[in-house]
Amino acid sequence: NMENLQQTSRNLLVCDQSSLRHRKCRLSQQVQQHHFNHQVSLLLPECGSAPPPLDAALRSFSSSYLLRKLPLHELLDTHFLQDAVYQGSVYGLSYRSRIDEDTCVALLPSGQLVLSLDKDVYERLGVEGKPSRFNQRANSRYVVTVNLTDSSMAPGGRGYQRLLTGLKSRVQLQTDFLLSHHPGGGEALKALLSRYDWTEHRPQVSSRLLTNLPCPTPLTSDLPSCDPHSFLEWLGAVEAEVSCDNESTSFLSTLVCPEPRAVLSRALRVRVSGLLLPQDVYRLIEELRRCWDGRGTASWAALTVQGFADSPVSWGSREHGFLKGGENFYSLLLCSDHSYWLCMGTGAHDGCPP
Amino acid sequence: MSVFMDLNLRPTAERSTLQSLLDTAAHLGYSAVAINYVFEPTSKKKQEIPKPTPTSELFDKLPTVQGRSRPIRVLNRLTIVASDASHFRPSAPEFRSFDLLAIHPTSEKLFHAACMTFDVDIICVTVTEKLPFFFKRAPVSGAVERGLVFELCYVPAIRDSTTRRYTIANAVCLLESCKGRPLELRGPYDIANLGLLFGLSEGDAKEAVSSTCRSAVLHGETRKTASGTVYTKRLCTGPAHQACTGPAHQACTDSTHQACTDSTHQQEVTDPGSEAADEPAAKRARPAPAVTDSTAPAVTDSTAGQ
Repeated sequence: NMENLQQTSRNLLVCDQSSLRHRKCRLSQQVQQHHFNHQVSLLLPECGSAPPPLDAALRSFSSSYLLRKLPLHELLDTHFLQDAVYQGSVYGLSYRSRIDEDTCVALLPSGQLVLSLDKDVYERLGVEGKPSRFNQRANSRYVVTVNLTDSSMAPGGRGYQRLLTGLKSRVQLQTDFLLSHHPGGGEALKALLSRYDWTEHRPQVSSRLLTNLPCPTPLTSDLPSCDPHSFLEWLGAVEAEVSCDNESTSFLSTLVCPEPRAVLSRALRVRVSGLLLPQDVYRLIEELRRCWDGRGTASWAALTVQGFADSPVSWGSREHGFLKGGENFYSLLLCSDHSYWLCMGTGAHDGCPP
Repeated sequence: MSVFMDLNLRPTAERSTLQSLLDTAAHLGYSAVAINYVFEPTSKKKQEIPKPTPTSELFDKLPTVQGRSRPIRVLNRLTIVASDASHFRPSAPEFRSFDLLAIHPTSEKLFHAACMTFDVDIICVTVTEKLPFFFKRAPVSGAVERGLVFELCYVPAIRDSTTRRYTIANAVCLLESCKGRPLELRGPYDIANLGLLFGLSEGDAKEAVSSTCRSAVLHGETRKTASGTVYTKRLCTGPAHQACTGPAHQACTDSTHQACTDSTHQQEVTDPGSEAADEPAAKRARPAPAVTDSTAPAVTDSTAGQ
C-alpha cells in the first residue's frame, strides 16, 4: 500500500534512433500521425537568430479557425463533408473541453470523427461506441468513432441518419471548435465559417535568446553521452526555464545538466503555438535538415512538439486520457549528420506511441 | 471520470464569504458543490432541523466553472451528527428539501445501523481525533452495496500536523470525514494526490472527487422521485394549474389540465425527463457497480466546515 507512494504516475517513453538518410526511416509517419499539435519549440545552439529559410518555415504555419458554439451535428453537414472532409485533410478539435470531465470531440484527417463522451451523454446519444480504455471500476466514459468517409456514413445512409438524429434531437451537443484544413485552409471550411461566429488564429511565433546555457556534450546520436531520460529532463528544464544549477540554497529544483557538459554562450529558443498541422511540422524538420547541407556551424538542434492535453487521441486514433497530466509529446534531437533521436512520451492514460 | 465536485461546503453567516468561497470553487474547477448544513441534535432540548436557504437567495450570481462554459451547480446537503438512532427520522418532511443526506455516526452501533439500513447518501467519519471504534468489514461492504459513499475531510490534514496524523491513521483504516474550517478549498487534482496518502490508488483518488460524488448526488436524487421513476417539474403558474395537486401530472384528472393549451404545460408533458430520472431508477433497481475489492470502499474526499 505504501509502495504506491514511492511511485510516480505511470508514463511511457518510446525512443527511436535512426537517420534521415536511412531507407526505412519512420520519422515522417511518426510526425504525420500526431495530428493535434499545440506547440512546437525549437532549440538552436550557438545561434542568435534563426537563418532566414528556417525563420520563413516557422512563420508559415497554417492558420486555424475557432468557431464559437458549434452544434456538433454541423460536422455532418453535406457541404462541409464535400468541401473539407472528402478533400484533403481536415483537423478539428473541441476547444475548452476537458477530456476527464466533459465531452471532447476530434475530427481526424482520415475522416474519423471521435466523440469522447461521459456516460449520461453516451446513453442518450444512441450510437454504438466502446467504453474508454481508461475507465476505473464503472464505465464513466465512452468513445464513439465513426468514419465519415465510409460508405455507411454517406449522407442519407442509415449510420449517418442515426448519428445526425442523435446529435440534433437526442443530445444537442454544442462546443467551441478549432478547425484547420490542409491544403484548403479557410476556403475549404467556408460551409461552416459562413454560418457561425468565428475567429482566425494565426500561429504565434515567439523567440528567446538564452545565454550561458549548460548543455550535455557531445550531443550526437551515434554515441550519446547521456541516456534519453536525462537528456529529456535537461531539455525540459531548458524549455520550462527551470534552473539546472542545483544550488544548495534552493529546494525548488534538483535538476542537473547531465555530465559531461559544456556551456553554450548562447542558444535560441523559438516557439510556435496554435493548432499546428503535422505537415507544417514536417516541413520545418526538412528545412532544418537543409540548413546543414553545406553550411551551418551548429552540430545539433532540438525540436519538441507538444500535443493538446485534452485531445481524445494522441497518435493516430490511439485513445488519450488525462489522469494527472495530459502530456503527449515528442522531442527530436536532430544532428548535422542527419542522424536523430526521437523520444515520444505519453502519460498514464495513454497507449503506446508508434 | 466525471466532473469534479466538492460536497462539503459549510455555510457561513456572511453571504459575501460564502459567495467568495463559491467563486473559489468555480475557479479551482469544481463543477458542483453542496452547501452542508450540520445538525447536531442533543437529547436536552428539541431542536429544529435547519432549513436550507434557497440558492437564489444565497448567491447573486453563480460563477462559471473555470475551463468550461457552464455555471457551477449548487446543491443542499444535511449532515446529522448523532450517536443514537432515535435522532434520525428518515420520513421527516424537513429532509426532503435537501439534495443530499449525510450522517456522522459517533458510536459503533449507529455506524453499523447507518451503513446497513439508513436512507442516507453519505456516511461521514471523524478524522480530528482517534477513532472511537474500529471499522468492521461487514457494515462497510453493506454500505457500498447499497450505493452509499464514505466521506473524508481533508482540511484538518492540511492545517495541523497532529490532525494530519489522525487523518492518515484513521483513513488508512478506512476513510473518515472530519470537522475542519470552512474556507479551505483545494483544487481537485491536489485532493486526488492527497488521496494517495490515504491508501487510495491514483484512479480511485481521482474518482473520489468526481465519479463517486456523482454517484452520491444521483443516489440523493432517488429520494425525490418515487423510486427514481417519476420526475415532476413545476412549470405552469396559471390558475387552472394551481388547481392540480397531484404529484405527477399523469395522475391528475383535473379537466382543466386536459383542456390546457398553455405551451409551457405541453412542454412539460412531452418532456422526457432529465437524465436524473433515468439514472436513479437504474441505480435503485440494481446494486451499485460491484466494488470487488472490499478493502477499498467508495470514498469521497471533501472539505468539511465548521
